[in-house]
Amino acid sequence: MNQYSILAGIDTEFGFTVEDRTVSDQADDSIALVRAYPGEGFLGWDYRSEFPRRDMRGFQVDRLAFDPEDAKFDEGRARPPAAEERSDRILPNGARFYNDHGHPEYATPECWTLDDLVAQDQLGEQVVVDAAEAFSKQIKRKVRVYKNNTDFHGASYGTHENFLIPRSIEFDKLALGLMPMLVARQVLVGAGKVGSESKGPVRYQISQRADFFVEPMNVETLYRRPVFNTRDEPHAAMEEWRRLHVICGDANMHPGCTRRKAGLIKLALLLVEQEKAPLWRIDDPVRSFQLVSRDVRGEGRVELEGANWTTPRNILESYLDAADHAELNDPEIIKIILECRALLANRASNWDEFWPYVDWAAKLWLLEQFAEAEGGWEESMMQSLDLNYHLLDVEEGLYAGLASSGYLRLPDIPPALISEAPNGSRAVARAVAVHKFSKSIKTASWEKVTFESAATSLDLPPNLWYEKSDCDVESIEALISRVNELK
Amino acid sequence: MIYADRQTKPKQAEPERKLGDDSGPSKPDIRRPAAPNELLKRMRNVDPDQAKKYRQRSGQ
Repeated sequence: MNQYSILAGIDTEFGFTVEDRTVSDQADDSIALVRAYPGEGFLGWDYRSEFPRRDMRGFQVDRLAFDPEDAKFDEGRARPPAAEERSDRILPNGARFYNDHGHPEYATPECWTLDDLVAQDQLGEQVVVDAAEAFSKQIKRKVRVYKNNTDFHGASYGTHENFLIPRSIEFDKLALGLMPMLVARQVLVGAGKVGSESKGPVRYQISQRADFFVEPMNVETLYRRPVFNTRDEPHAAMEEWRRLHVICGDANMHPGCTRRKAGLIKLALLLVEQEKAPLWRIDDPVRSFQLVSRDVRGEGRVELEGANWTTPRNILESYLDAADHAELNDPEIIKIILECRALLANRASNWDEFWPYVDWAAKLWLLEQFAEAEGGWEESMMQSLDLNYHLLDVEEGLYAGLASSGYLRLPDIPPALISEAPNGSRAVARAVAVHKFSKSIKTASWEKVTFESAATSLDLPPNLWYEKSDCDVESIEALISRVNELK
Repeated sequence: MIYADRQTKPKQAEPERKLGDDSGPSKPDIRRPAAPNELLKRMRNVDPDQAKKYRQRSGQ
């Protein structure tokens, strides 16, 4: 049916600023920014399939923790009803675009391939920029959008990866097999960060998010964030599926890093499923995550149970070695394995063949260039340059400038078109519903679309191949019928 | 499962590093090749206080 192995998506909360407005205005401005999006789409979302408090370990928390400092911004503020505050819209490519905790958030449609995922992630940047430009014209103020995860003052906002896997994979094996990968992969995919707000001084670190983890695993995302998030919300039949919700990754500007970070998780998941994942028992994943993040010049240190330690390179190479003993049919994963082997070797011995591939190293190269030209490393200036690496502006953004200079080694993956759902995923059918029958949609979510006029709903099982030509029909009934035939 | 003991090392083999210590083995010169003037110009145009002024709501 499909040689690609794991359905995946990425959702990104973008940072943004509005001229002459402050962080106290951000929640309202984010709603207005999302609503200003000029493109077509279905307005609304069916929240009944969302269970953010349910934990994979078999329980549900009463409520999710929130950041008490951040909550002060809402004191005295009249909040609109939840649906109005979220301002959800489903786009013609099957993506979701909405306001989440004061940030415009773009969730890619589900993708079978890594290349489609990268293309859809890049399209998301354009969606947010288009909304910001429209918002800017409305209010006649400059609006800037940043694809990053830190404000350098203690606030973080996430870029989450989602991977759909069979529920038959036991939680304990999943956690044991994934945790080492989550701690180690940052050396190949981190976005890089100047300084630290909370964990002691450091000049530069590999991960934008490392400072914000306080527990090895839990269901939280807003406060007391974990390295391994245990949210149990598959957006598909609960008895059949799990969704691994990875919250410890960074927002990547470099599309090669976006592809690599998702590819490495897919590799780990395939090895876990085949019971061939390497076994590393990390003593304190939070501490090791932070140690690795802060060891820019060295190899990093991951402390293991017992009196041992190892390096992220050893951990990553153990996954790559284990792949030799597994059945892997996904051609993209084979490419990721080869690429990662080369990058791990080059980080140690051939830096010029490393930094053009990796966000944190490319940003560091850029900052070192500036420090040399201007006579030193001054932290507040370097943080401003760091911020501008993530600015989504082709004229002013530093990543944009670096990419156009020809120094980076970039995969040839153009952004998807807004009318283009990813090949074969259930987003194809959702996209047809939004594009052709938007006015008839009653409710919509990742797994289901209901219509005002149809007696039955459009159910979207995640594990089918939705051929675009099969789904391109002229009536709601025909669409439902075609999808039912796929089952 | 594949065990990876061969790749571990005794903890005592190296002085423990504390958070904030980013020292370690030296690397090849990471500053080559030089950034083009256009890129340096773009960096010089950045407001040095921009990060100080950048505040965001805490998200997920």
